[in-house]
Amino acid sequence: MVDVDEFITEATAEIESEIGEENAIIALSGGVDSSVAAALAYRAIGDRLTPVYVDTGLMRKGETEAIRETFDFMDSLRVVDAQDRFLDALEGVTDPEEKRHAIGEGFIREFEREAREADADYLVQGTIYPDRIESEGNIKSHHNVGGLPEVIDFEGIVEPVRDLYKDEVREVARALDLEEVVSERMPFPGPGLAVRILGEVTEEKLTVAREACHIVEEEVADHDPWQAFAAVIGKATGVKGDNRVHGWVVAVRSVESRDGMTARAQDLPWETLQRIQSRITGENDDVARVVYDVTHKPPATIEYE
Amino acid sequence: MTRILVVDNHGQFTHLERRALRDAGVDTEIVDNDTPPGDLDADGLVLSGGPDMDRIGRCGEYLDLDVPILGICLGMQIMATELDGSVGSGEYGGYADVDVRIVDEGDPLIGSLAPETRVWASHADEVTALPTGFTHTATSDVCEIEAMSAPDRDLYGVQWHPEVAHTAEGDEVFANFIARCE
Repeated sequence: MVDVDEFITEATAEIESEIGEENAIIALSGGVDSSVAAALAYRAIGDRLTPVYVDTGLMRKGETEAIRETFDFMDSLRVVDAQDRFLDALEGVTDPEEKRHAIGEGFIREFEREAREADADYLVQGTIYPDRIESEGNIKSHHNVGGLPEVIDFEGIVEPVRDLYKDEVREVARALDLEEVVSERMPFPGPGLAVRILGEVTEEKLTVAREACHIVEEEVADHDPWQAFAAVIGKATGVKGDNRVHGWVVAVRSVESRDGMTARAQDLPWETLQRIQSRITGENDDVARVVYDVTHKPPATIEYE
Repeated sequence: MTRILVVDNHGQFTHLERRALRDAGVDTEIVDNDTPPGDLDADGLVLSGGPDMDRIGRCGEYLDLDVPILGICLGMQIMATELDGSVGSGEYGGYADVDVRIVDEGDPLIGSLAPETRVWASHADEVTALPTGFTHTATSDVCEIEAMSAPDRDLYGVQWHPEVAHTAEGDEVFANFIARCE
């Protein structure tokens, strides 16, 4: 494991010497990697760093507010309201890779504008060691703002956590007092709830996915999963109050893992599963059925798309 | 310091092999599998897993380098194919939890895990015939040849993934391999 204090001192010094007196921008997703990269860069260059968080409308319940609160100490934080633009771009798109592509393009457009406005010379990214190797595997295309340097001619790209693994980044986050990012926020994919909705992303499915994810996170908290969520996977028949409904099928997933590379489906108590089922179907009129995903990784991935 | 290189066959877990070695305190790096054999300055090699036998680069040539080699998943299958063993598709894909029985307690790589160990696997193909000079060292219900060794040449193969967090005694496999490289 990395020596956390030594790492923070060295990484801060390195960022300082690389960026010097110039300006930098970082895309903040609220995940632990970009949060740590932003906190390190902020220590190094203060308000010459512009952290940009884009609300794509594909975020979890309360996510944007939580980000504002966590990063309240950064005066230069920019929160971009881009829900309509992302939902428009996703209209009619059903192929998983095309969805990721549409979202990636959307991010680049948002950051291009913000980077120009902030007059940023450098791009800071929360790339971690596995990202550098994994992108070759073609399992799923990795979402980040990887295409941004192609539209903006940055003087340099700074990746302060490039040699760390996820659990090491978490250790650094704790040392940086980003405890809430680590303890209260599970890993969340770049494309957000879009990959927890099979097929086209619509407002209706987004609402179901957002509420169901929130319920799952609340109900499984005591079981300390590495990641837990709900996905909207299709439609099926149900009967509610003597009425037939053709409603959404929600899959619940809760896994334990060290690094996301392998994962075990959690052996949740029946009572917990039943409470989840009852809340998701009870609080959402158009959900007909809830299933629990018992597949490990491999052979399944953690997220659905 | 002992130096062990990880040859990347485009596997998802390649970086975890580097991590396991780094955490065990050896000098380690990931190298491309088309690196000329003469440029590999190491006391041992790990041949990583990967998706495709057509993308194994120059791994076959590395088997002649006269350093200990640990083949993991596809890496083990490369040993079988490049030497005179064989590889075929298994009847039952090995994914996630597998209980492996050690059949050679004297094996330098995995003998210390006897009698049984819980591993994490991810493979459709498997070694179907051992190369000459190799001993069958482990088996399971889903895969006959889970591991094989040729200790006199210091060539070792495991079909499962000792580098992933869900494999119970993965660190011990790496420690045993490092001992052969020192």
